[in-house]
Amino acid sequence: GAVGNALSRQVVDHYENPRNVGSLDRNAKNVGTGLVGAPACGDVMKLQVEVDENGKIVDARFKTFGCGSAIASSSLATEWVKGKTVDEALQIKNTDIAKELCLPPVKLHCSMLAEDAIKAALADYKLKQDPNKKEAEKKA
Amino acid sequence: SGRSADGTGAPRPLYMDVQATTPLDPRVLDSMLPYLTACYGNPHSRTHAYGWESEAAMEKARRQVADLIGADSREIIFTSGATESNNMAIKGVARFYKSRKKHIITTQTEHKCVLDSCRSLETEGFRVTYLPVKKNGLVDLKELEAAFQPDTSLVSVMTVNNEIGVKQPIHDIGEICRARKVFFHTDAAQAIGKIPMDVNDMKIDLMSISGHKIYGPKGVGAIYVRRRPRVRLEPLQSGGGQERGLRSGTVPTPLAVGLGAACEVAQQEMEYDHKRISQLAERLVTKIMSEVPDVVMNGDREHRYPGCINLSFAYVEGESLLMALKDVALSSGSACTSASLEPSYVLRAIGTDEDLAHSSIRFGIGRFTTEEEVDYTVQKCIQHVKRLREMSPLWEMVQDGIDLKSIKWTQH
Repeated sequence: GAVGNALSRQVVDHYENPRNVGSLDRNAKNVGTGLVGAPACGDVMKLQVEVDENGKIVDARFKTFGCGSAIASSSLATEWVKGKTVDEALQIKNTDIAKELCLPPVKLHCSMLAEDAIKAALADYKLKQDPNKKEAEKKA
Repeated sequence: SGRSADGTGAPRPLYMDVQATTPLDPRVLDSMLPYLTACYGNPHSRTHAYGWESEAAMEKARRQVADLIGADSREIIFTSGATESNNMAIKGVARFYKSRKKHIITTQTEHKCVLDSCRSLETEGFRVTYLPVKKNGLVDLKELEAAFQPDTSLVSVMTVNNEIGVKQPIHDIGEICRARKVFFHTDAAQAIGKIPMDVNDMKIDLMSISGHKIYGPKGVGAIYVRRRPRVRLEPLQSGGGQERGLRSGTVPTPLAVGLGAACEVAQQEMEYDHKRISQLAERLVTKIMSEVPDVVMNGDREHRYPGCINLSFAYVEGESLLMALKDVALSSGSACTSASLEPSYVLRAIGTDEDLAHSSIRFGIGRFTTEEEVDYTVQKCIQHVKRLREMSPLWEMVQDGIDLKSIKWTQH
């Protein structure tokens, strides 16, 4: 457990034993890319998903500029989306991420950004599947 | 050496955070022990040997502090630390002269206790000018001169900054203040015992001193209050009139003895320490910068105390680097500001871009820092900066030739 400001073992583990760090081909039609946060805030997450023809997420990658909790939150997000359908992945809540990583109150915004990153990646994927919808939205 | 007492049993990290606090010099501990054991008298007890011996030790300590800064014993008042000394200097002087003087000048990069004391005075009706600093962290003397008003009672500028290590032009500031007959206070917590300080040479009227920044005990400090010309101040703490009525309360003899011993040891070691620390600092900075691109040193390269090095590693966030360097004790910005989510106000004052402010680490090199410790820290730092850049979307974008300033970032 976390004592005061000490990082939880889970958070440190995501940095020391990284999984899913990297990039997918953002130009591929079945890859969705989400980029959330801002350098001025000290938190930027890029999360990518690769979705198969059945709507299932088969691969995910992340890169994060942020504290240990931010890195762990986005890393965990990529672990959790794998194997889920797009709609299932949209159900992932920041509170679950925070609980899994034992994030203290001051770090809850990291888990919120990770949830935003998942949603942004999936929104990008959906937009790429339905460019007509994009056109319709533009006209609206 | 040894295991951490935090319940994990992990080996103790290397200590590279001397601006936060320093270990007791063994010579200081030796000097304190008798007063923590058999010689436990109250130094203000006038009627027996316990008191007399305690008083003698306290007065010896007072002389040791005075000698380090070229002052007279009678000008040294013991306090609980530099925070209290800063409060006394600023609030004490302002309030004493308030019938005729209502204006104070300070800088935007002072320690929180100075800034907060000034804010507190503003609620009492005083006016405060918070001078900006140049990009190198130094005060602009022309701006200082322009800031004086007919009713300025005090100028407060710290000697060495605790976050970025820059050294203000104290001689020049002293001259400027003396010429205008305005009292000059300096928070010298990070400076005394490390660089030569002389209250007469530098025309200093008040000075704050901290025990635990100079290998002395925590919980004690001192304030220097000039006698000629006389500086008056309204005491913060009322009571039995100890310390010339300026700071009532029993002087904690073991702590005062420790502070005195720390000052004497520092005076002896100053030249040797400064030379050794400069070499180690040069080693650290040169090695890191030759191996890692896009590293910025915060604060002037020349006018600084070498043992405090603040570096920004672009595209890598500071806390993540601290986590990665888990076996080295470091800090990202000042400990006082770490509780908030805002980046350092000192870095903001020197014009550091916000993303670089989030990417800063402070390295502290001290009397007991070894070359091996510096080399290990450098090696780990280089290794983990490279690793964190591989994990950084910002680094990736820059490698792809994208101008980060052109991106519309999301807000949350």
